[in-house]
Amino acid sequence: MTRRRLPEWFLLLLPAIIVIAAVVLIPLIFSLYSSFTPYKLTRPSTLWKWVGTYNYEKILTDAKFWAAFGRTVLFLTIALNLEMLLGLGIALMVNKVTWGQRTLRTIVMFPMMFSPILVGFQFKFIFNDNIGLVNNALQSMGFNVALPWLVDGKLALFSIAFAEIWMSTSVFAILILAGLFAIPRDPLEAAKVDGCTPFQSFRHITLPFLMPFIYIAMTIRSLDVARAYDIVQIMTGGGPARRTELLWTLMSRTGYVDARMGLANAMGYVSIILSVVFTIYFFRKLTAARAQIGMEG
Amino acid sequence: MTKSNTLKVLLASAAVFAVSESALASDWGSFDGVTVEAKLIGGQQYEGLYGRIADWEAATGAKVEIISKKSHFEIDKEIKSDMAAGTTSWCVGSNHSSFAPQYEGLYVDLNGLVAAETIAEFVPGNIGASTVDGNLLMLPRAQFDVSVLYYLKSNYEDADKAAAFKTEYGYDLAVPDTWEQVKDQAIFFSDPPNFYGTQYAGKDEAIVGRFYEMVVAEGGNYLDADKKPIFNSEAGQRALQWFVDLYEAKAVPAGTTSYVWDDLGQGFASGTVALNLDWPGWAGFFNDPESSKAAGNVGVAVQPMGSVTRTGWSGHHGFSVTNDCANKEAAVSLVTFLTSEESQLAESAGGSLPTRSAVWKANVAAAQAGDDPFRAESLAAFAKGAEFAFAVPAIPEWGETTNIVYPELQAAILGDKTVKEALDDAAEAVDELMRESGYY
Repeated sequence: MTRRRLPEWFLLLLPAIIVIAAVVLIPLIFSLYSSFTPYKLTRPSTLWKWVGTYNYEKILTDAKFWAAFGRTVLFLTIALNLEMLLGLGIALMVNKVTWGQRTLRTIVMFPMMFSPILVGFQFKFIFNDNIGLVNNALQSMGFNVALPWLVDGKLALFSIAFAEIWMSTSVFAILILAGLFAIPRDPLEAAKVDGCTPFQSFRHITLPFLMPFIYIAMTIRSLDVARAYDIVQIMTGGGPARRTELLWTLMSRTGYVDARMGLANAMGYVSIILSVVFTIYFFRKLTAARAQIGMEG
Repeated sequence: MTKSNTLKVLLASAAVFAVSESALASDWGSFDGVTVEAKLIGGQQYEGLYGRIADWEAATGAKVEIISKKSHFEIDKEIKSDMAAGTTSWCVGSNHSSFAPQYEGLYVDLNGLVAAETIAEFVPGNIGASTVDGNLLMLPRAQFDVSVLYYLKSNYEDADKAAAFKTEYGYDLAVPDTWEQVKDQAIFFSDPPNFYGTQYAGKDEAIVGRFYEMVVAEGGNYLDADKKPIFNSEAGQRALQWFVDLYEAKAVPAGTTSYVWDDLGQGFASGTVALNLDWPGWAGFFNDPESSKAAGNVGVAVQPMGSVTRTGWSGHHGFSVTNDCANKEAAVSLVTFLTSEESQLAESAGGSLPTRSAVWKANVAAAQAGDDPFRAESLAAFAKGAEFAFAVPAIPEWGETTNIVYPELQAAILGDKTVKEALDDAAEAVDELMRESGYY
């Protein structure tokens, strides 16, 4: 009788499978299960009470949740597009520099090196209406105003977006710069010989080559921004009057402050749709962009 | 060093020496080889008390291992995670009267574990607020909080200002005794963006607590006997309208809706706020020239009254012992030591209000006999203010209700909703929470 042996590929993958199951799969299944319970952190026994889809029904009919959902989509769209445009501009300028480019690249990356919590505190101080740098600068220039940067709905979202963009534009800049380095020189030189203007070369050669890099950056950043928490929590805490409430500030308050982890997990599963939709969208765009420049397959 | 400062240093040194001697002399038990793990509130103002732990260690032979030191809000989150994970075998936890009711089954009932005569030495109101469903969940620390009115004295010493005020409002300008007078004067004193009449905490539990005490001052209440929300009454609307009126008149900083305690304290200390309802811990800070531009110009008065009564939303810190603690006797000894008369004398010397009757008396007597009229004035105001103090409802859902209510209060203040709409929406959501929690 021959001994049955596990296939080698499975044995080789087994440590990874065990680790992934322990740190991803089991918590995922557990959190999915708990979203069907009234689980409260302070009352562990509630974990075993099954309430079916009650939490999901509560969320689907909750205008506050959907307002936070919509605000997150808006915030994501604005922040991502501005970061992309600014990152593209910075990358194009850095690419033109012929002396000290390495130093410049390091400087561009500085904001990425700060913890989001510190960035949040920094901009909370900068935008404080009473003692903040911006209002003090305005007042010293003769404007007798104290703009409520972190209170007014539009200004508060702008202030948070400003902090987020300040911190993360360099992600786009660095990835796009890598794309610029990878562009073959031949088509650009051929275009020059054919009499194309710099804008035409950029529009029809450089940009299509950069699009795969832009979409990779978009995919990574969309997941980052969709779970933006630290900066928002520090700067406004989602307020005032829910004017800057994003999905993660709402979920963290529900789960950790109110201790309603079952409800918070249900919110998490509904909001995952957002990340999935953005990821699918950008991957499709990425595939199309790669096809356009002959990189498919 | 001035004569007065020299005297203070000598008195403080003598007190610390006496306290250390006393700690060694008291019978705190013998716990050789025992290690008590503790999760304590962190902050410079609390370090003096923690410095005394060495005395308890020397007296008992036990060791204290501080495994966490954070703000109460952070400790609260950590404790909830511990409860969920079942990792609650540490022994002593910092607690707060607002947080205590939510930790179901976490902490022991100290009745029976602490001598009845010891419990009787605390202010009965503090023991009442530390008791949930008949269980004494913590021993109150010398950190009792009730707010009184701090004001800039110079505003009441200017004859032109007084005359202009009388012409505009028809009554004499004096330190306000009612919330209506606070509103009038705050609007009168304001010169935004350089100077503001007053300010208030505008988010989280902070604004709900203020709103709560003003609802009661207006003759209403937050919840009824069945725990049903009733703050959307006419009294509640009058209370919220006060916040709205001040905001609309620009008598408070525009960012006040994002302020909590530190922002308020720093704001008054900057000398740009005329009237400030605030906690006892700030008294010394406000009158210290090194930390405050208002120093020397600070007056302290009992909190103003509403149209019906004078009130004070209050709370206090405390220390609790977990049910899962391996050596409860040692933990109870440590908690008793940290809240002892000696500990409270040492801690309240820094400006906080004690929770033991004898320490109150000692502090008031020392202030009256001493050469610090500001300390005497503020202690007298706090002693009076404490008479109107009440604790928040002892229910696990208190914190959650505040998370529902505060965005609605902000919506009214910022003009997104009318006062009635905001309160009705908040009451409806709190009502749903209370139904879900099984109160009715």
